[in-house]
Amino acid sequence: MHSNSNFQDLPLQFNYLGDHAIVISINTPISSESIQMVKKVVTLCTSIQKTHQWIKEIIPAYQTITLVYNIHSFYQLEQTDPLLFLKNSFQSMMKENFLTMKAAENEIIKIPVCYDETFGIDLASMATLKNITKEEIIESHTHEIYNVFCLGFMPGFAYMGTVNEKIQVARHLAPRPKVFAGSVGIAGVQTGIYPTNSPGGWQIIGRTPIKIFDPHPEKLALFKAGDQVQFYSINRGVYDQMLAS
Amino acid sequence: MSLKIIKKGMADTIQDKGRTGFQHLGIQANGFMDYLSAQLANALVNNPIDYPIFELCFPASSFSFSSDHTICITGANFSPVINEKSIELNKPIDVSKNDVLQFLKPIEGSFAYLAIQGKINAPDWLASQSFNATTLQQDNVFEILPILESDIYTHTIPFNLIKAIQNNIFAPAPIRFIPGPAWNDLTEESLSQLLTQAFHTTLQTNRMGYLLKGPLLGLTRPNQYLSAAVTRGTLQLLPNGSLMVLMADHQTIGGYANLGQIILVDLPRIAQLKNGSSLHFSLTNVNNAHQLYQQIQKGFIH
Repeated sequence: MHSNSNFQDLPLQFNYLGDHAIVISINTPISSESIQMVKKVVTLCTSIQKTHQWIKEIIPAYQTITLVYNIHSFYQLEQTDPLLFLKNSFQSMMKENFLTMKAAENEIIKIPVCYDETFGIDLASMATLKNITKEEIIESHTHEIYNVFCLGFMPGFAYMGTVNEKIQVARHLAPRPKVFAGSVGIAGVQTGIYPTNSPGGWQIIGRTPIKIFDPHPEKLALFKAGDQVQFYSINRGVYDQMLAS
Repeated sequence: MSLKIIKKGMADTIQDKGRTGFQHLGIQANGFMDYLSAQLANALVNNPIDYPIFELCFPASSFSFSSDHTICITGANFSPVINEKSIELNKPIDVSKNDVLQFLKPIEGSFAYLAIQGKINAPDWLASQSFNATTLQQDNVFEILPILESDIYTHTIPFNLIKAIQNNIFAPAPIRFIPGPAWNDLTEESLSQLLTQAFHTTLQTNRMGYLLKGPLLGLTRPNQYLSAAVTRGTLQLLPNGSLMVLMADHQTIGGYANLGQIILVDLPRIAQLKNGSSLHFSLTNVNNAHQLYQQIQKGFIH
């Protein structure tokens, strides 16, 4: 059953998600504190996984970290049940004091975006809707340092936030049949980049020449959850140059 | 040793146990829709049980063989014939050079599995040959590579395991699930409807998910949640009140109400439902789900 089990004094809850996953929830509102907390839990889970290979996936999102595990390999090694095992592991690792432990610092990843209207096909309508200039939209979008909360929707697609209120717009009611790879979009408080051509409903404000996802096994996704990202504006000439190189 | 697709099916693919360790990058797991039938077919031709295998939908591809092979077909019954002569399911069959395997008529189930002794030589990505959307094409030729002696599956499959799998997949038993994070947000009426009324599979069923038709369910709060990881078997409540069951090619995260997760042993049963089939749901718990899963997997692994 979905039980509420508090974990010591920490704002963490451990619950089963079906029979082959466990979700660790952070009970603090989304903030820099909750983002740090997610990163720390991922770090702990990753170190547990090194010696417990029945943990198959560690999937961070806004306020949750989900572990997918293999039932059979777990019971081949352990006498207890997976939820209890995980809580105990956390407890013993907690001696290092989770609350004061520092999450790994990341460099800010700088992403060039061409906000030319041939790419930023929704800039004009957004400007009208929000009663601001296109320049102000670009100014706001490049000013903010965004957090990558999670990846999903398609390989390499990073959900980033938080977008300033003055440029927040809801996604299109009906998705476009084709949004080009590299398109930078806004959906409410979120911003993101389409890694490949795909249908999509986000408001498109520009395009990056940077490859966001590369199927090569040693490359894959440019971003990971916990990264920080800042956009900067480039003109069409630089865009074309970067794309060609 | 090879086999050739001499007639293209509708949506046949190569699948294995799927891709692990990449969901945090938004990369889907993919893999067998009915893992029990796939494992059984592999075991019956002495392949490791999680090996790549042909997953077939009706109308299925037709195959011809370049040399002698041992094959086995499990899962859905699409009336398989070799050189127009009926063959049995769930039994290893020897085929010879130039034999033609066809599937004539769907009798039961949605996914049939064709295992061939050896390893299908097909591209892989991140340690899996499962891809979403890559279907088998006319004139594709797949080389079958011999497997290492140490990898050969030598355990004899007991008849009662075959029987247990058949029962599990095709019995009209309720689909069991464990309540999820949004379970308590269902209205009382919806909760009782979900547990008592019949739902039907619709034409919108594919490897990503099965859309169900049934009573429209409601929440006591808006259907907008912070996106979080979803798993195979997740029961999602869509904004219009319909239920969607996430299957093998599901996206890695989702933001709709997560009502619960179907347990692993019942996933093959829902996977095998044909369009328009009816189903009921019932509650279970993690302990029970783990026991059931262990029980059936122990039949394969010693």
